[in-house]
Parts: sequence; C-alpha cells; structure tokens
Amino acid sequence: MTKKRAKPSKLNTELILGAAILGAIILFSLITPIFIDKDDSLLGKFPPNVKPNSVNLLGTDLQGRDIFTTLVYAAPQTLQVGVVTGLISLSFGTLMGVLAGFFPGRIDDIVRFISDGLVAIPAIAFLMVFVARMQNPSIYVIALSIACLTWPGSARAIRSQVLTLRERQYISIARSNGQKELEVLFREVMPNVFPLLLAQFIGAVNGGIGTAMALEVLGLVPTRRFLSLGLMIFWVQRMGGVLRGMWYWWGPPILLIALIFAGLLFLSSGMNVFVNPRLAGYGAAAKRRTAARIKEFLAARRAAAKGMEPPDEDAILEVRNLNVVYETVEGPVKAVNDVSFSIKPGERMGLIGESGSGKTTAATAMMRLSRPPAFITHGQVLLEGRDLMSIPDEELRRLRLKEIAMVPQASMNALNPVMRIGDQIKDALIVHEGRMSRAAMEKRIAEAFGMVDLPADVGKQYPHQLSGGMKQRATMAIAVALRPKVILADEPTSALDVVVQKRVMMTLMRLQRDLGAAVMLIGHDIGLMTQFVDNLGVLYAGRLVEWAPVEDILNDALHPYSRMLIESLPTLTRKKALIGIPGMPPQLLNLPPGCPFAPRCPFVMDRCREEMPEVQSPQPGRQVACHLYPSHTALPPLPIRDLIPEVLAEGLVPQVLPDAVAGD
Amino acid sequence: MQRYLVRRILQFFLIVFIANSLTFIVPRLVPGDPITEFLNNQQLLNPNPEFETWVADYKAKFGTDRPLWEQYLNFWAGAVRGDFGYSIISFPQTVMHRIGVALPWTIGLVSVGTLLAFLFGTSMGALLGWPDSPQMFQWFVPVLMVIGGIPFWLFSFVVIWIFAVELGILPPAGGINMLDVLIQGDTLQARVVSIAQHAALPIFVFVLFGVGGWGLTMRANLIMTLGEDYILFAHAKGLPESRIFLRYGVRNALLPVLTALAMAIGGIIGGSTLLETAFSYPGVGSVVGAAIQQRDYFVISGAAFFMILSSALALLLVDLMYPLIDPRVRYQ
Repeated sequence: MTKKRAKPSKLNTELILGAAILGAIILFSLITPIFIDKDDSLLGKFPPNVKPNSVNLLGTDLQGRDIFTTLVYAAPQTLQVGVVTGLISLSFGTLMGVLAGFFPGRIDDIVRFISDGLVAIPAIAFLMVFVARMQNPSIYVIALSIACLTWPGSARAIRSQVLTLRERQYISIARSNGQKELEVLFREVMPNVFPLLLAQFIGAVNGGIGTAMALEVLGLVPTRRFLSLGLMIFWVQRMGGVLRGMWYWWGPPILLIALIFAGLLFLSSGMNVFVNPRLAGYGAAAKRRTAARIKEFLAARRAAAKGMEPPDEDAILEVRNLNVVYETVEGPVKAVNDVSFSIKPGERMGLIGESGSGKTTAATAMMRLSRPPAFITHGQVLLEGRDLMSIPDEELRRLRLKEIAMVPQASMNALNPVMRIGDQIKDALIVHEGRMSRAAMEKRIAEAFGMVDLPADVGKQYPHQLSGGMKQRATMAIAVALRPKVILADEPTSALDVVVQKRVMMTLMRLQRDLGAAVMLIGHDIGLMTQFVDNLGVLYAGRLVEWAPVEDILNDALHPYSRMLIESLPTLTRKKALIGIPGMPPQLLNLPPGCPFAPRCPFVMDRCREEMPEVQSPQPGRQVACHLYPSHTALPPLPIRDLIPEVLAEGLVPQVLPDAVAGD
Repeated sequence: MQRYLVRRILQFFLIVFIANSLTFIVPRLVPGDPITEFLNNQQLLNPNPEFETWVADYKAKFGTDRPLWEQYLNFWAGAVRGDFGYSIISFPQTVMHRIGVALPWTIGLVSVGTLLAFLFGTSMGALLGWPDSPQMFQWFVPVLMVIGGIPFWLFSFVVIWIFAVELGILPPAGGINMLDVLIQGDTLQARVVSIAQHAALPIFVFVLFGVGGWGLTMRANLIMTLGEDYILFAHAKGLPESRIFLRYGVRNALLPVLTALAMAIGGIIGGSTLLETAFSYPGVGSVVGAAIQQRDYFVISGAAFFMILSSALALLLVDLMYPLIDPRVRYQ
C-alpha cells in the first residue's frame, strides 16, 4: 500500500539561514579557544574596565576579566544548557504524547490530566521557589526542573499527531496485516512523527535557553561554578554596567543571545513548512509570485476579451474555453480544460462528474472566485454579454449575488459562525441596494426566508443553532435574496440525508420557477440530477465530454463515459445487470496525450491514446468530445458481457458514482 | 448557566489549591532551610555567641520549627487572610506589605504595555495575513519573527544605554522621582508626569518586543480563517473587501487571540520580573528579583502565590468571557 510520508520538499531559505547562524556560533566557540589562554583571561588578571583594544578585543569587565574570552566560553555553555533541557523535555513529551496518542482510554486520560494541571501552574513561579531552596544547584538539576514543567507542550502536539496518524488507512492496513501494536508504532507511526519531533525539539531548546537564562539573570544559579551568557548579563546588572556606559560588556552577549534565538526561530519556522504545509504559500516571496500570476492571467484574459466573438443573444450565461490550473509543487494541474457551454434564461442545467473532475473548480471559476493555488488561465464567462473574467473587480463585485449567485458546496460552513443569519442577509442587501428603513429591511429578510420555507425568526439565530437542512436553506435564502438571474448550486444537498435532500431540491426547483432564474446544478448523483434538469453536461478529468438535453443522454448517450454512467443507474422498469465503470479516473498531473477516458473506454482506438478529441456536434443541440464521431452517428451498444465479469471481480456494483457517500 | 458558574469557580479554587500545595511542599523536600542558611551567613559577618538559641528563636518566629503538616496548615490559614509571614531580610516587615506596596506599580506598567502591544500587534498581524494588503508589508514577517522570539527584557539594556545614558532624555531607573515632584510642589500633575517618564522606557521595550508575538499569532489565525468556506461565500455575496476583512476575517481570527490576551494578563505578575529588575522599577518583579538575590525565601514564595492566583484568575476569566464573544460556546 502507498504510504503517505511527509514530502521531502526543498530546503528553504529560513532553514539554511537558521542552520548557518547556529553553525557559525558553534564553530566560533569551538575554534577560538585554541588561540586563547583561558586561565589568564578568566582569572581577572587584567586591569578592570578597559575599553576594547588590541590586547582585550572587547575590553575587560569590572573584575578585570577579558570579555572576549568570557564570551567564547559562555556561548557553548548556554547552548549546552538549552540542548540538555530540550532533550529531557522532549523525551518526556514524546513518551507521554505517544503513549497517550497510541493507547487512548485510561493512559490518555491520565497523561492529559497531569499535563493540563501542569499548564495551569506558572512555570517561573514554581521554578523560583524550588530553585531558591536548593543550595548550589548544578545547572543540570535546573535543566531537569525546567523540563519537568515544559514537557506538556510537546506531549500535546505529538499526541494529536499520533492520533491523526492512527486513523490513516495504511495504519489500519498494517494492523490488519497482523503487525503487532509496537511494531506498528515504530515502523509506521514514528517515522511520520519525526518532522514534528524535530520542530518540537527546536522549540524545547528555545524554551530551555530562555528559562535557564531568566533564572541565571535573576541570580538563582550559583555564579562561581558556571559561566554562561545569562550570567554575564547577571554581572552587568549587578555591577551597574549599563549606567557606567560599558556597552562593550553587555552588548556582545546580548547580540550573541539574539543571534542564537534568531537562528532557532529560523530553523523552527523553516521546519514548520514540513509540519504544517498549509502555511507554505504565505511567505513574502510566494505571495508576490501569486499576486504577479493573478495579474498576468487577468491581463491576458482582458486582451483576449477584446477580440472575442459577439455573445449569443439567446443565452444568459455563456462559458467559453474556461481553463483553470492548480499550481502545485509537482507542477501545474489542469483541473478545468477548455470547458464551453451555454445556458438560456430560466433553463436548468446539470453538471455531473466524479470527485476531482473539476465541477466545483469550474463553478468557483465562473464567478471568478478561484483562490490560489487555482488560477483561471484563460476563457470567458459571458453573463448577458459581459465577460465576468475580464471586467474590473468593482463591476464584478456588484454583479455577484445580484445577477449571479452561488449556493456553495459546503454550506455547513458557508455561514459566518459569529454573525446572526439575519445580519448575513442584511449586509448583502445593504451592499447591493443601499440603506433602507428598518421595516423595509425586515420585510426583505422575511421574504428571503419565506422563499426557502424558513420561519422569519431564524434571522435572530446563529448558524450553529440550525440543523444541516436549515443551514442549507438559510444559505439558499441569502443566494436568492436579490432574485439573481443565474444560480450556481454546487451539490446543494450532498451533506444531507435523503429525505431532507429531496425537500431542499424541491425548494430549489420551485424557486427557480418562481424567479425564472437559470440554474446550474452541480453534482455526482446522476439519479437525483436527471429528475431536475433540462440539459446535462458530463465532466471527465476537467473536460466537458458530453453536453445534451437530459432525455437524449438518458436514451442514447453519445460518449462512452456518459453511457456507462447511465448504465450504472438502477431502474424499476429495466430488468438487467448493473454495471460499474472499471478503473479509476486519471491523475490530472502529467496527463498523457489523447483522450483522458481512453484507459477505461471499451471502444478505445489507437487514435484515442495520441490525440485529444475535439468537441463536435453529431446531432443538433448536442456536444460530444469523442473520436467515434463523426464517423458514427450514435454510440454502438456497450459490450456489457465483457464488462460484467470484471466488475463483479472487483466487487464494484455501485448504484451511483462512488463518491456519493464520501462527498468531495 | 448557574451550574456552569459553580463548576468553573470550584475548578478555579482547585487549581489554586493544587498549584500552591505543590509549590509549598516540593521545595521543602529539598534538604536545608533558608533560615539556617541566612543565619549562617550572618554568623560569618557578625558572630553571635548563642548561635543555637538564635536559630531556634528565628525558627519559632517563622514557624519552621513545626512539623511539615502543621506548617502546611498554617500556610493556608495565613494565605486566606492574606498573611504570608515575614521577610527574612527586612524582618519584621511582612511579605504582604512588601508585595502590596509593589503590586500597583506592576499592574499599571504591565497592563498598559500588554494592551498596547496587543493592539499594535493584532492590527499588524491582520494586515500581514490579508492577501490584498500591500506587498511591502510582507517584509515585516521575518522582522516580527525575530524580535518576537528574542527575550524582550534583553533590550532593556540597549534602550537604557541609548535614551538614559547617551541621550539623557529619560530616567534610567525607578518608578517616580519624588525629589523632582516635591520641588514642583507635589502636584498631581507633577506626579503623573514623573510616573509617565519613568514608565516610558519599560513600556517601550515591552510593546516593541511584544508586537511580534501578537502579530504572528494573529497572522497565522487569519490565514487559517481565510481558508474557511464562509469567506468564499462572503466574496460570492459581492461584499466589499473591507467588510469581509473585518466582519468575516478578523472577527473570527480574533477569538483565539483574545484567549491568549487573557492568559497574558494572567501572567502579568510573573512576566515582568526581568524587565522590572533591569529598570529597577518598584514593582513586584523587582521585589522578587531582590528577594532572590538575598535568598529571602518567604517573599519569593509569597510572590509565587500571587502569580498562581493571577494566572488561575485569567483562566477563569477566559472561560466566563468566551461565550460572550463566541456564540458557539455556551455556558455548559
């Protein structure tokens, strides 16, 4: 089975910078001692308070010690204390975190109880009292005390990582393959926790140095037996080095401390990209590149729009050669590839396809809402002749919701959780129609709720107070509040149970009739879809492979893929075996030339593997992208007998497409 | 609601009880005791012929001649009355007196500093996280990261050196210059000016280096929030950028940051020890710093009690406040 290890992405600048700073400090403190006589310099044999000169590079302190030498010996000690503290804290943390994550139940509860309790105790308060009581504590005893209080942080992070990993498929597979728990733990879980461990270690070292230094500066660490950057600061403070203007005394250790912390920070933030890939695209450089690309594509679309063919007078919405690309680390992924279709006023169109076929990407792009890493590379979307892909931002903003509205896919999360539903309609009304009297506003809001069969007092509630079906209706109420001409409904029912699904769909269709709006309904449930739409577009691997009136597709689909979709539907009247579609949809990255359906197609020809089929119209009012045409006028019968054994062998007898259960 | 309150308040007392019991008992398991140590040092400077009776006398005054369990009970009996015993060094001053005098200074300094750092930091972080903010803002991120991660009190030295030693425009230490105030006739205005002058540098350090942490937290939260579906839907509603930014983005991203703010306020007493020591500011931090150097054990443990109390109070505050700012959380 494929393991999902953390991707070995490239070394980033932060990581290199951090390693360079820390490496330089370590190298410096390893090499310099060779050239310096330690005893001479540290015993205070020099005259006190000498400014920097050729003998004492950084001068001497008030006790006649050479500051440069002190620094050379103090820096590695400070790092050492940090590393020791970090190691102890991380070992505790890892042990507890892994135990708690891998053995939920009693052990998890106990670990969480202890770590929650420790978090509530301010570490510095406890350490002060504890260390003050000890007589001449060694710095390692102090490191141990610090670690005892700081481990819960890493334990929590590691626990939650282990918990997520446990649920991954390959872990359950490993377990069902008969691997022992401990074996699973060390072979499968630990390698994946490793990047997090490294990041946590850097954090623990950082915390260790900081806390130890605080105790040193406060004077809790005996000053005779130990030398560190923190103690240098302690002496400066004790002897009034700042007010005496001895910048060469306190300046260098502070600079060195700052460098150490900066190095650790760069390291940990460089590592963060591995631990939390989502933050990767938010660096300054990445952001600038993204902004530049958005601008570039917009300029290109504007240039193309100047010479476009005149809009179709009959259509309210016309999509022409829409292309959307996801820019990923591995390369560009063409998620929507030259999609074209048109919708007439009041028409209901369905767009169907499997997960990852580009349905949602296309719908989001049609309102120019695509967000990086998705980019609309070219294409036009004409709403009553205006090209939404190239008009100025402000003009586009005014058209959204008022002319073209969207019922988003994940409407569970489409509502702002901290705003009352009514206010979320109200702000849209104010923006598009200006301020109005309170009574008028309330009337409009009640009207919007009325359209979706919600009582008006829903407006006073917050999203979390509503059920899934009600949230879906509330979202729909916002979408139709301004009576738009076009509604893009992206799987409006996918998260709902069958009964509620049906009711929401009925509401949507009634609204469509009442408002006379054109609707584009997106989904993967072909059975549900065919009941509600006039025209159906079939999307496969980002290509619109067929587009036709729904009866035509049901009775004689032209594209082999659409036909196989229809055949996979159970019916009450036809008595025959159901077939599925063998194989999997293709990976869109590095798509081979030719028709993307070729590997699964029962009619595949040599040409299909080499040449992408053009969109053509073998019958009026229908579009298909397949090499069978124009030499054929209809699709030959499916070689079902050949297909069934394979389907049965794979145990696949789906009633709808596989992701009907899983969602997108 | 009422049950929630009762449970939450009981939890508060439990935390205070356990944390203080630990800080009372665990250090006492370490051999040796601070009073003998102190008197041993005194003996070296200034020999007392009846050393044994002297020690016994002192131990009786501080109650450390009793068995541990009795000391423990006495500790709580005293703590509920606000009595933490005497300072060893400046006997017969009480611990409560030393802390009580210093507390207002610390609260004033750190609460102003924390609030300013929070305001600047979160506004900056919000601007940094918003995709449409000017590109030049992005260069602040590494800068914030570095200054936010370095222990801020270190820069007290730099600031004192520049502004107090070299330029001489602000006082280097202390909380108020009473001599100056008396010369000007001890008016309220003179007092306020003097206090402000003395607080200016510590607050400057506090804010300058607190901004980084707040800024980065807010930026990360906002970036996470912007990935939410309700932001996309807000765009689909045709709302202007500014409204999406404030009401949909910042409003949601701010929730976890407010928790952190309350926690930071809870850490006020413990968090400023090093800063106050560097500026010789007359707050609890300096009292603790001095007590540590003089091994004045009972002052240290008295201060620790207040640190625990204030951070537990902050936790309580967060839980009571959260349902008011996040409608999803209810008093349950």
